[in-house]
Amino acid sequence: MSKNLKWLMLCIISFSAQFGYAQNTVRYDLTITDTIVNFSGKAKRAIAVNGQIPMPTLTFTEGDIAEIVVHNKLQESTSLHWHGVFLPNKEDGVPYLTQMPIQPNETFTYSFPIIQSGTHWYHSHSGLQEQIGMYGSLILLKKKDDPTFRKGIDDLPEVPIILSEWTDIKPENVHRMLHNANDWSAIKKGTVQSYSEAIKARHFKTKLGNEMKRMLAMDVSDVYYDKFLINGKNESQLSQFKGGDKVRLRISNGGASSYFWLNYAGGKMTVVANDGNDVVPVEVDRLIIGVSETYDVVVAIPTQDISYEFLATPEDRTKSASIYLGNGKIQLKSRMPKLKYFEGMKMMNDMMNMDGSMDDMGMDMSLQKMDMNTVMYPEITGNPKMKMKEMKTDNEMDHSKHAMNADQNIVTLNYGMLKAPQPTTLPKNAPVRELRFELTGNMNRYVWSMDNKVLSETDKILIKKGENVRITLYNGSMMRHPMHLHGHDFRVLNEQGEFAPLKNVLDIMPMETDTIEFNANTEGDWFFHCHILYHMMAGMNRVFSYEKQASNPYLPNKKWAYKKLQAESNKLHFMVENDFATNGNDGFAMLQNTRWSFGTEWRLGYHDSHGYETETHIGRYIGKNQWFMPFVGFDWRYRKQNGEVEKNLFGQSNTKDQRAVLSLGAEYTLPMLVKLQGEVFTDGNVRFQLMREDIPISPRIRWAFMVNTDKEYMTGFKYIVTRNIGITTHYDSDMGIGFGATLYY
Amino acid sequence: MKRLKSILMVFTGLLSVTVFNAQTKYTKTETVKIYGNCGLCENTIEKAGNLKNEATVDWDKDTKLATISYNSLRSSKEQVLKRIALAGYDSDLYLAPDNTYADLPGCCQYERAPKTTVNMEEPKMETAMGNHSDHSIIADAIIDNNQLQTVFENYFALKDALVNSDGNLALEKAKELLIAINAIKMDELSSEEHIVWMKVMKHLVIDVKHITETKEAAQQRGYFNTLSDNIYQVMKVSEQESPTYYQHCPMANNGKGANWLSKEEAIKNPYYGSQMLSCGKTVETIKWF
Repeated sequence: MSKNLKWLMLCIISFSAQFGYAQNTVRYDLTITDTIVNFSGKAKRAIAVNGQIPMPTLTFTEGDIAEIVVHNKLQESTSLHWHGVFLPNKEDGVPYLTQMPIQPNETFTYSFPIIQSGTHWYHSHSGLQEQIGMYGSLILLKKKDDPTFRKGIDDLPEVPIILSEWTDIKPENVHRMLHNANDWSAIKKGTVQSYSEAIKARHFKTKLGNEMKRMLAMDVSDVYYDKFLINGKNESQLSQFKGGDKVRLRISNGGASSYFWLNYAGGKMTVVANDGNDVVPVEVDRLIIGVSETYDVVVAIPTQDISYEFLATPEDRTKSASIYLGNGKIQLKSRMPKLKYFEGMKMMNDMMNMDGSMDDMGMDMSLQKMDMNTVMYPEITGNPKMKMKEMKTDNEMDHSKHAMNADQNIVTLNYGMLKAPQPTTLPKNAPVRELRFELTGNMNRYVWSMDNKVLSETDKILIKKGENVRITLYNGSMMRHPMHLHGHDFRVLNEQGEFAPLKNVLDIMPMETDTIEFNANTEGDWFFHCHILYHMMAGMNRVFSYEKQASNPYLPNKKWAYKKLQAESNKLHFMVENDFATNGNDGFAMLQNTRWSFGTEWRLGYHDSHGYETETHIGRYIGKNQWFMPFVGFDWRYRKQNGEVEKNLFGQSNTKDQRAVLSLGAEYTLPMLVKLQGEVFTDGNVRFQLMREDIPISPRIRWAFMVNTDKEYMTGFKYIVTRNIGITTHYDSDMGIGFGATLYY
Repeated sequence: MKRLKSILMVFTGLLSVTVFNAQTKYTKTETVKIYGNCGLCENTIEKAGNLKNEATVDWDKDTKLATISYNSLRSSKEQVLKRIALAGYDSDLYLAPDNTYADLPGCCQYERAPKTTVNMEEPKMETAMGNHSDHSIIADAIIDNNQLQTVFENYFALKDALVNSDGNLALEKAKELLIAINAIKMDELSSEEHIVWMKVMKHLVIDVKHITETKEAAQQRGYFNTLSDNIYQVMKVSEQESPTYYQHCPMANNGKGANWLSKEEAIKNPYYGSQMLSCGKTVETIKWF
């Protein structure tokens, strides 16, 4: 009987598949393996899918059923997220939120109907795997009879383009270094913005003002990359095209943390879609594509026998990647000139209040329309160096006529220019749910959050199916953030009224306020997060959870899973440093997460009369800027100096020879980034201390000083040789002068 | 000790031999044509092409031929020629960016091979920009019977000069504006226009005269501030065929804020020039249709 039933079922299923729906199932098999790559001249570990980086381009047509079978051959768990795709929540591919991680040697099948078209992409949502190869294009084509099919656009030849970046440093290490305010990236990029550079650029006052306001040197991006890639290559050619052709580039930014400027040597570019949604075509000279955004751009090849460079430049303009369209001689596009960092610093100083909040001077910024970074762009504001040179060589020249490459007529795309071809209004009678978030963070400790709370400090945000959710975002941090919502497109409210464009990633620049809205129409738990991988892993995330949703078969215990998800983005970061000097060892080790700091410092002499001491502090950072940290401590020291008694500034006596005390204290960051520490010990002694260890004298030289009320003092210099090694000299009131080498991790 | 020394000697000797070998074994030399003119070009070309431990370039300005020696492990002819093209000099592999070529000193602007442009078929796409062209057709008809138009046109030219921080040009444009203001026949204005014009004309003349008295854009901007407010009064009552945008920058005029008028919606700030080109926002759109 049961056998018969099964047969019957099978018949019905196959029948309905063929005639009932006439849907076409498209299957891809993806095998994920470890691999070794060499992008930079060094062989490094990466992850390949079906033996390639980027992952293979997956193409479906609206109406298909996607069936993607993932074979995990890694030693670690993985997942795949379909970025920008409308699908049932359990197929969304976020481990511990919509499914359990795919374990090593496990096979997992994602299956969902394709109910939209457009340029999308897919990537791993596990740890930092996206940085080392797990990104690929996902193209959803329109049906031929689609009423929105645009002749002259949707029938052009097209090429998927996925942008990415490569670093030789393991991404886990990159992440750790960012949290430790390690400035190796800045040294490699030439963006330390030290005092010597400031003086050279006649911006000493600017630098001073910047440190008075307790800011570290700002950059437009955080990570140094060894190579930038278009479809996995730094340079490549599309020689199938010839003069007169028009080509649609379906561009996804699969970079982990890089925004890219897009420029084309063959004239203007026409933007025809964004985040997988058609927009009314708009001609631009250049555009910036945020992390995880997609843009469809139509370019023409104007000349026979010349190929034209399509140039992707990361926002920090350190390097670039190119793809040449056509064949024959290559017409290059000029490189984007280096940023004028001190101009940006000056601007920041003006906008920053002493308490660390920002003042937009009443300029109501939104939708990328007013790019404050423009002051740093030489191609728009002119190049001061060139002007000076010119003045020297030719005094009689009329300088005003010379724009020096500066072109104020460059048309740069912004969100105000995006317009949907059809009205995008939400259901009129649905209840409206208003939410507001301030994007917050601080660079010093690399904490990124929303309303000063990271994911591990917040519950899921409950929303009801059917309501219209309207979110106002204000970016109160000093970096831009590409905010991505899973499973839905939202309207970006701009001047286009009912034709507001649909997107799933919103780039929001510092001090901007933007409003987005969407209809809650697909139940489940949906991630809403900053798509800069290292910001996401620092906890800049939220979860929108539909009330009364059905249970998820791939994730039976959701409560436990959410705790795991929260823990993943608030891990402890380890750092350690020791100076092996002629007069002793100085060092510290620290474990830190978003709020807590467990640290111990030591000074170890080579003989008893120099002594040995350690100080251990367990503290919690308070406030948005984390300038204040109360702590409990434990001090221990031993020294053999015949019972000599020392007095501190307050007249309290203290034998330094043997001491083991507990303490209560606090640390506060003063202007000029000097740390003031006050501490009361169980023996009744009080100590205040001023210290700063990282004053950037030149790109590689740091000056340190310390002075306290125990009449101890120290001053020294460090020359940074590599990521882990420095050469030091310092003078210490206890141990005298010393020279040494510092190792740090 | 002696033994150590000799070992060291042998070791260094061996090392230098391998280095020497590596140099000769992987060094490739090729001769290619690079377009250019003079001795100045030679400097730029060689400087752009040379890279320590990778490549050296020797270009001859008479034959236009360059001898490129490079380490084939680290570099290639393509890489060298690409760097040179990015400095402004064409070769048979790469064409320099047009703006880089244009920035070369006059004597270096060698003759470039003409490109054979393909006739692109007219784009079928309706671009957002395309829509505007319809307006301009209607526009011409009305211009003739609006004599204030010349005043506005000259005002916009003055504004553009200030956007470019070009004090000399601003001075010229201000002179033309003054002529246009004086040429207005008040009795031909509509009654509304007439009333406003009488009120502001004196102030307009004063501000514009001040602007013609200096070449310093910074000083001109001070007068441009009040000038803009008065022009705005006139424009409010004067029928225009295309919209004008009344725009505001809160930082201008020492933080007191200042306004200006523009025919484009995109912000191009005349008070800061390129420094803060996009600072500001549209506070009012003046439209008559």
